[in-house]
Amino acid sequence: MMRMMVAAKTDPAIDALSFDDALAELQRTVAELEAGGQPLEGAIALYERGVALQARCEKLLGDAELRVQQLVARAGGAIETRDVRPEDAADEPASGG
Amino acid sequence: MTREEPPDWALPSWDALPAEPRGDRATATGSTRTPAALGAYGIRILGVSEVTRTIRGAVRADPRLADLWVEGEIGRVTVSSAGHAYFALKDERNQLQCVWFRDDRLRSAFEAQAGLRVVAHGRIDLFEPQGALQLYVDSIQPAGLGDLTLRFEALKARLAAEGLFDAARKRPLPLRPATIAVVTSPTGAVWKDICHVLGRRWPLSRVVLVAAQVQGEGAPASLVAALRKIERYATDRAATGRPEEAPAVTILARGGGSLEDLWAFNDEAVVRAVVAHTLPLVCGVGHEADVTLADFAADVRAPTPSAAAEIVVPDRLEALAGVRALGRRLDASASSRVRSASREVAAERRALDRLGPGAQVVSARERVGLLLDRATRAINDRLVVERQASGRLGPRLDVILPGRLARDRSQLERFDRVDALVGRQVARARATLDSAAAALHVLGPQATLERGYAIVRRAADDRIVRDPAEAPPGTRLSVRVAHGDIPASVDPRG
Repeated sequence: MMRMMVAAKTDPAIDALSFDDALAELQRTVAELEAGGQPLEGAIALYERGVALQARCEKLLGDAELRVQQLVARAGGAIETRDVRPEDAADEPASGG
Repeated sequence: MTREEPPDWALPSWDALPAEPRGDRATATGSTRTPAALGAYGIRILGVSEVTRTIRGAVRADPRLADLWVEGEIGRVTVSSAGHAYFALKDERNQLQCVWFRDDRLRSAFEAQAGLRVVAHGRIDLFEPQGALQLYVDSIQPAGLGDLTLRFEALKARLAAEGLFDAARKRPLPLRPATIAVVTSPTGAVWKDICHVLGRRWPLSRVVLVAAQVQGEGAPASLVAALRKIERYATDRAATGRPEEAPAVTILARGGGSLEDLWAFNDEAVVRAVVAHTLPLVCGVGHEADVTLADFAADVRAPTPSAAAEIVVPDRLEALAGVRALGRRLDASASSRVRSASREVAAERRALDRLGPGAQVVSARERVGLLLDRATRAINDRLVVERQASGRLGPRLDVILPGRLARDRSQLERFDRVDALVGRQVARARATLDSAAAALHVLGPQATLERGYAIVRRAADDRIVRDPAEAPPGTRLSVRVAHGDIPASVDPRG
């Protein structure tokens, strides 16, 4: 019963996973479920987790928007990025960097 | 001993005069013997082939004529049916016949045209059938760039000798880079094209432009500075505890142009900075046919800037198909587990039918029922999630690849059928459990156990033992009493 509670579907940890991490864990989960050997409730917990991971991957693939930035060196030598639109990128102003 | 003077044209020049003239002129002129026979007047007369062969030998023996660059203006060009080009290279006073064979000619981006000033590379040789000295051309460049071409070849040879272009130096590209650095000019189509390709193929990434001058006198220094800036940024991210923000790959790009326009990418400092760059680097400079030394130095050479963007990221539609395939394996695995669980429930029911401990069945029913409820719920939820996901992705992907989406949809419908199948099995299993529990309540064997009776089963096959003959000495047993099982065995001394 404990495991059932732990594997709730709206797992905040899964919602925070990057695509790479979610995909790697989905692959592990599928392999583990296919290998079998766990009790039924363990298998169902794995299944639910796999479903949540798949949803996370698909959401990331479907919703993603390319983030476009430009690298700028500040006068002190520090390097920063700032968001730009592709058409607004500009020659970097001469700086002390 | 009288000697006629030979005519002017017959003055000997190829060999020493013989001491003795020979009388038989007819024999001499008709002869093709080598070395030449002495003819009348003591003159050695040569066959044409002997002369051409001698010239050929002299030409071939001169290393200056075996490998030379010649600058001149192209005269009339004739191309034979076999595809070889014939023309003359001229200056103000003289000309040199040239042949450019088909294979070399087709390899060249440059076409020989009358009136052009060019620098041709090749060797001088004699075309014996016509006794003509010719330049056998292997490549032609427009004049004025000849100097650049020579510098290109010299630097290429020197850096290659240092091992800078070795295949062993090439690093693999990351599979799915989270951050991509791009060194190029912020103005112009190249940067926008790269953003467009990355946005279409893999919008999960972040692209960081490092603006650089890609043409003109300051370009080499600017390109080197841009590459260094990326390295400093990557080090800085790692040092401040955010290594995941460091770029994983660098694209070095520039649009097409003349050899002079692209010259910064043949600059030695730029080539060395590319080799020393701390990240894997993809070079996409110019068009397909343009090759720069930076291309040789890069880990991967892309034919164009857009191709460089394609190479560094995966395709999200392929990734989506991969994720969906994993989802199908997940479903198949879970379905088979639920089916086998249903079979186990049925088997347990049969065992308990014979045995009849009601409380066990009730708790087992509770446990299995809950799990099966949960499996059904999970599967139902999944249908909702799938539909939402396909609704969300639908409009966007429809535009990109309708065929693929249609395939995904038909897979969804297949999930529906699998889920329905699992649902029916779950319902059947639950009905079986319900009837088993009802029957057991009537029989009430738990009450019997509570009174102190026990049920004895063989451990090996769970059969209830009703006759001592069923349990010979040494048989391992399981004795069920009201609150649990006691492992036991029949005394071997029997």
